[in-house]
Amino acid sequence: MKKKIIISLSIGLGVALLVGGLTPLYAAGKTTVVFSTWGAPSELTRYKLFIANFEKSNPTITVKLQPVADYSQYHAKLLTQLAAGKAPDVFYLGDDKVGKYVQANVLLPLNSLLSAKTSTVKLSSFSSTLLGSVTKNGQVYAVPNDVNPDAWWYDKTVLQKAGITDDPATLASQGKWTTAAFNAMSAKILASGATALMAYHYWGTHWSWITSQGGTVYDKIGNFVANKDPKSVAALTTLSQMYKNKTFAIADDQPSGDGSDNQFVEHKVAFYPEGRYVIGTVTAAGSQASYDIAPWPSVSGKAASTDVAASFLAINAKTKVKDAAFKFWSAYVSKAGQTFRLSSGGNAVPSISGVDSIVTSSNYPSHAQTFLDMVHVGYTNPAIEATVPGLSDDINKEIRAIYEGTDTAQAGLDKIAQLVLVAKKK
Amino acid sequence: MSAETFNPDFKGANKRFGGSSQPTTSSWRKRDNRWGYFFLFPQTAGLLVFTVVPFLLMIGLSFTSWDGLGSINYVGLANFKDQLHDPLLWRSVTNTLEIGLISAPVGLALALILAVAIQQLKSRTLYLLLFFAPIVTNTIAIATIWQQILRPDALVNIKISHFFGVTPPDWLFNSKFALIAVCIVIIWGSIGLNVVIFLAGLESISPAIIEAARIDGAGPVRIFTRIRIPLLSPVIFFSIVVAVISSMQTFDVVYVLTNNGGPHNATRTLVYHIYDLGFIRDEFGPSSAAALILLFLSLTLTLIQFGFQKKFVHYDQ
Repeated sequence: MKKKIIISLSIGLGVALLVGGLTPLYAAGKTTVVFSTWGAPSELTRYKLFIANFEKSNPTITVKLQPVADYSQYHAKLLTQLAAGKAPDVFYLGDDKVGKYVQANVLLPLNSLLSAKTSTVKLSSFSSTLLGSVTKNGQVYAVPNDVNPDAWWYDKTVLQKAGITDDPATLASQGKWTTAAFNAMSAKILASGATALMAYHYWGTHWSWITSQGGTVYDKIGNFVANKDPKSVAALTTLSQMYKNKTFAIADDQPSGDGSDNQFVEHKVAFYPEGRYVIGTVTAAGSQASYDIAPWPSVSGKAASTDVAASFLAINAKTKVKDAAFKFWSAYVSKAGQTFRLSSGGNAVPSISGVDSIVTSSNYPSHAQTFLDMVHVGYTNPAIEATVPGLSDDINKEIRAIYEGTDTAQAGLDKIAQLVLVAKKK
Repeated sequence: MSAETFNPDFKGANKRFGGSSQPTTSSWRKRDNRWGYFFLFPQTAGLLVFTVVPFLLMIGLSFTSWDGLGSINYVGLANFKDQLHDPLLWRSVTNTLEIGLISAPVGLALALILAVAIQQLKSRTLYLLLFFAPIVTNTIAIATIWQQILRPDALVNIKISHFFGVTPPDWLFNSKFALIAVCIVIIWGSIGLNVVIFLAGLESISPAIIEAARIDGAGPVRIFTRIRIPLLSPVIFFSIVVAVISSMQTFDVVYVLTNNGGPHNATRTLVYHIYDLGFIRDEFGPSSAAALILLFLSLTLTLIQFGFQKKFVHYDQ
């Protein structure tokens, strides 16, 4: 008898724990919106502040943050959640993955919601050049929550040590920041023992170099044309020569413990194409005065169209709390939301028009307006690369083969054209 | 104590427990069985839910095309055909076999030498602790530390250039050396377990046999090759099987030490290939097909090893 009682109690306790664990903790009378993003704990602090502020203004909505520490694990988790029907209501999407989710119809279409009179956010507030990978048949499925153009951060200390007196940002403002000017500087920088250019190995670097040199990578309907464009082939040939003679180094190859950020603040690198988040890096190093930004050097000296890295905010097509989710989503990407998130310590550039002061009010870097100018003329990840997982990795491997001399620029670009063709058929 | 008290099959035993409804022998057995199933249930349920069912689903997925979001489409054997024609798969297979062919024999030979050396020592605890420490250390932690040690400007290269006067290699970014670097880390990380296993095996050899061999005039080398090795052969066989299967599953060291399968896919292993297809490219059908190919390869290698068992493994003392 005793045994039966013990067994019954154990089973009962187990069932109670199971049910309790499975039951969502909904506060009475409140709607819960689950919001997912990636980020290190320090980055999440800003999200939590925003959520607390939003909940204060919207007392009937509770926002549950579901962070994933590592970007590389984020989309795998999101995919599993979507397949299981347990995905968050509002979530981030990386610019190398967003196209796939758009094509799969798992995101809520936004046009009608944004055009409603009650909507606090309008589609026209976002530059159309930033919406290419999130638009399908005229319908927009996500917008960039904020962006980061790869501005050419430069170290004045390194330039001074190399005996360079010209200032790249000043040259850019005069329309004289040319490739020839950069080449002259890089020769001196190399002779002084520093690295002239260090950049991450991804689409933003190699495609921006090509477009800044007058080349075309994708045409207006998304066909890969760089292999048929002599300027593109020439630009990539130049970049591979720079890699071989150590004028250009790949940031990903730097040893952990002495990575690219470290080398930049230790005055070992002259030019470092990166986003606004470098402000945090140079501030932490206590050497803000030594750094400024310029656009990519171009053949003509005038700023060309170059890459704008972005992450996108989308709403789950199967969300059960559509109104609350859209309210949170709107607040997040609105002028007020981006101002809240990106001011005083923010690390990105607003994706919405009308809040440029977020970037310029702090007067740092001195030519902060360059960030905004680059966003206005820049482009996000090409749609095909944002849609087919793994395509960007394959392209990166081929580009590296060009850098290392295993393939010529022409042969490499031909292979990339073939990869894109195969990807389009998938 | 008599059998009638303790032998549950003794029919008379039931009378000793009184009560109007006497439990029969078969009901005792049934009650015992029920408790057995009850205690087996959690483990069996876990095995079913987390191993058997996913394995069966994987087999099913291998005949489909699915990216995790859209519909699942049956494609027959297309995934297997594509994989067998995929140069990346064959590169992965080659790399995996190379890792196995290098790390298993080298690691086991070193472990055997160390075990024999440690057996001669009176005080062994410190050495056993030192060699076994990597076994109880997380593989990711090991790979992260080795990533620093193998940096172009770090300790290993400094010593190489100092002692040999040559330009040291870029271990992790040079396609010729990246695989060797992975093998070094695997050997370092697994040698301790084999040392302990071999030491136990050596200890189980009767000293009388060794003594008899010495009396007959056998030298240390002959004793080692003609007595210790044959008597240790079951243990060596077990270690080889485990080492080969383990090398077929190499992933974490490669993932941490060398990015994206290493320079020019130099360290792309079969498990990394499966991971790349499934979790980077979201191609779950081909990924599952590659996983079944790995299973087939592992089984084939294991069967080959068991085939050699009769000739090379001696189970008699």
